[in-house]
Amino acid sequence: MNVASRLPESPAAALADRATDAGKPPFLGFGLGLRHQHYDEILNGNPPIDWFEVISENYMLPGGRPLRTLERICERYPVVMHGVSLSIASTAPPNFEYLQGLKDLAKRVEPKWVSDHLCWTGVHGKNLHDLLPIPYTKEALDHVISRVQLVQDFLGRAIVLENVSTYVQFNNSEMTEWQFLSELSRRSGCWLLFDINNVYVSAFNHGYDPLTFMNGIPADRVVQFHMAGHSHMGTHIIDTHDHPVCEDVWDLYAAALKRFGRVSTMIERDDNIPPLDELLAEVARTREIAEQVLPAGGQAR
Amino acid sequence: MSDFARQQAAFQSGILNGDETVLAEILDSPREKREALFGVYRHAYGSRLVEAMRNDHELLHLYLGDEMFDEMAHAYVKARPSTHPNLRWFSQGLPEFLKSAAPYSEHPVLSDLAALEKALNDAFDAADGPVVELTEMAGFAPEVWSGLTFRPHPSACRLDLATNASAIWLALKNDEAPSEAAALDQPARLLIWRQDVTPMFRELPAEEAMMWDEAANGIPFGVLCEMLATYDDPDNAAGRGAGYLHGWITAGLLTEVSIGS
Repeated sequence: MNVASRLPESPAAALADRATDAGKPPFLGFGLGLRHQHYDEILNGNPPIDWFEVISENYMLPGGRPLRTLERICERYPVVMHGVSLSIASTAPPNFEYLQGLKDLAKRVEPKWVSDHLCWTGVHGKNLHDLLPIPYTKEALDHVISRVQLVQDFLGRAIVLENVSTYVQFNNSEMTEWQFLSELSRRSGCWLLFDINNVYVSAFNHGYDPLTFMNGIPADRVVQFHMAGHSHMGTHIIDTHDHPVCEDVWDLYAAALKRFGRVSTMIERDDNIPPLDELLAEVARTREIAEQVLPAGGQAR
Repeated sequence: MSDFARQQAAFQSGILNGDETVLAEILDSPREKREALFGVYRHAYGSRLVEAMRNDHELLHLYLGDEMFDEMAHAYVKARPSTHPNLRWFSQGLPEFLKSAAPYSEHPVLSDLAALEKALNDAFDAADGPVVELTEMAGFAPEVWSGLTFRPHPSACRLDLATNASAIWLALKNDEAPSEAAALDQPARLLIWRQDVTPMFRELPAEEAMMWDEAANGIPFGVLCEMLATYDDPDNAAGRGAGYLHGWITAGLLTEVSIGS
């Protein structure tokens, strides 16, 4: 099915475009996801990492060591907040208690930006703690755009949304994921976190070319790359974030640099956390490849 | 209900209840059937929550072993789906679940172990607050001491256990073989708190537990000492009270001492 041919035309929607280059998040360099296993080594060693991404929910807590450590990290490194529970695509009513917690943390951290995922995590008062897929329909797009606008208004800043790894596709989709993301960013003004591993995973799982996805994303809306590992199950890939980045994803990263230019990039490991040195080697590789692909002065478009 | 909302409800029901309705709206992939692909979400749901419970209840996990812990955890996941966006709070209901759900309710040590671990987890990331120093106490004239009232540090909490769970916890923590679970004649009165960034607990004598509980209720020092006099030798009740107070302050347990009205 050529879903692209079913992309609805919506001239009225263009009037609502919020996309603008104003306030575009800065290029931070080459970073790493902060994990508690590395707290002491980072604070005692000042490793050569340009910036850290922190999981927002890990610090949406009353007090104690997590917040104290985060404050010390923030004194030394630029920090970006990355959430997993915004549930921006949920049809449940917005959770203002969660949003207030996120806003309070952002006030404390002063992150370079706040991101989450294009997904939902539950309805009817339940939370499944997973990044669940959506149908790429006009109805879903309108719903998510209104939610993004609400969240951006509440937080007082444009947010950044990430493409998730998916294992299923819905038969009522009317457009591709990349068309959905592009429209979402253009009409809501949110920026995009382009997870290169997730594109690889979803492309394998659904049988399309990851380069087609990449080339369908507007280059000027991407402000961050994620690089991560996964688990190959033969007929499908599961996005486990518990392995080093695989060679295919490194190749896709080089292609992404050619398309998107200079973009803040980070290594994201969520499980089977290795010694910091192993992750630093992967961070160094993101930097080396960028230097090879983008000669000095390479800019994001 | 919109079509999108209906579809999300069906998807969620497919994960939580094994309902297969949503499969009619999902495509097979080029290499795999939709049932297997949707199964990734079903499996991830249970395993992610059980993993979170293993992290929150490391010693209960050690005590029960992988198989029994996971069976218990899956029963909890089934009985109490998560309602909070932050996974941190998912296992908060575990002590109460273990106390009320068979067969776990037949082994009260399980609920007690879970309650102790929960209390320590809660102390770990409880709100920060000022910590009263001993030097501040010197600023109070002797005549105002009987009117002094105390505010516990936000991380402090009391827990009474009916079993020897705290001894079992300590043995497990020290890689020693735990003793047999046993009911106690008198409950173990524990005080749990965070000193600097480290969660701590200790068992209180009955009269110190009473004094702490009443101090936390705002009862002034003079009255607390009168209450202590009913527990043991009335002649040195004030001395015992001052001793307990000294211990609380050096442990960082108080956030404010003030002169009552």
